[in-house]
Amino acid sequence: MGMLSIGVFSSLVGSMDLDFAVRLARAAINKGHTVNLWLSGNATALSKDKQKEFKDYSFPDKTLRELIGKGLTVVSCEACNQSRGIQKEDMTEGINRASMDLYLAKAAQSDRVLHIGVE
Amino acid sequence: MGLKNKIMFVVQRPPYKSEDPKLALTHALSSGVTSIHIDEEVVPTVAFIGDGILNCVRDQKSMEAYGIISNERHIKNMLATDTKTLVCKEDIERLGIKEERLIDASDMGADMTIKVVPFNEILKEMEENDHLMFF
Amino acid sequence: MKLGLFFSDLHGIEDTYDRINSQELGVFLVSNGIYHAVLKENGKPSKILNKKGASFYVLKEDLHTRGFSEGEVDSRVKVISYDDLVDLVMDRYEKLAWI
Repeated sequence: MGMLSIGVFSSLVGSMDLDFAVRLARAAINKGHTVNLWLSGNATALSKDKQKEFKDYSFPDKTLRELIGKGLTVVSCEACNQSRGIQKEDMTEGINRASMDLYLAKAAQSDRVLHIGVE
Repeated sequence: MGLKNKIMFVVQRPPYKSEDPKLALTHALSSGVTSIHIDEEVVPTVAFIGDGILNCVRDQKSMEAYGIISNERHIKNMLATDTKTLVCKEDIERLGIKEERLIDASDMGADMTIKVVPFNEILKEMEENDHLMFF
Repeated sequence: MKLGLFFSDLHGIEDTYDRINSQELGVFLVSNGIYHAVLKENGKPSKILNKKGASFYVLKEDLHTRGFSEGEVDSRVKVISYDDLVDLVMDRYEKLAWI
């Protein structure tokens, strides 16, 4: 089994790329791979707790929480969070925050890196 | 397993409208502190292709106009820290940007300069790196 | 190199794509990239599919989401699930690029 790091920069609401990343993470974890998820830029909105589900918008929050329970590592960019007014106490339990050097270090340890850097 | 620590950042979008190019630069700059997590630092290479070459135009005044650090400043910091920085020759020619308009960091004492190379050389660099990050 | 390229748009990325060559190339059509597998713009299949030696894959969920079905997919493109995608990414393509 291998290690996959996925970096995502797309918006939570307004783009479906985060859904793609979370679904890929789920499929990889279910197959026994280790998966790291890095949230940066607008994607850091996914780290926020108390999201409400609306049927007009995708809702990866629920799957993300299940995957954290199955060992998915999720790290959100600290500066991106703070610039968007998301404080540590606003974040979903189990999601860590750090600076981008941690993402690069995880990437260097990974067999595969999928970096979704554009919307 | 050994580290796959050669990471190439490929910037393909123009500056400022989107945060993407700036995030490419700040991520590349953070390579120098990755050794606090792993045994060896990440070794970055940065390439500008397509409309992304417009990030390399000098004399950006984003601080004066919008109060934000320019992409030029980040590129100069990259050069000052010896980051290999490539810009696609065909794309600067296509967009009519002369080489003398490209950023340099000699005023910061940098030996490294932006290297203008054909796309084939950027492709070769992609082969030599372990991971690719397109912005 | 063994490169997996991800396409998530219909237009705007052809220039980079045309210039990328790889010893082994897999093209993953996801999100709005699925249109390359099914549309015939001006009566012709997507030029994306003309790259010699490349393997093409389209994500089933994204195809269905946009109102298209397996029967409409160009014969050069294989329809895959997320599970298949994980296997291809982890076993076959050592470098990945979302362009």
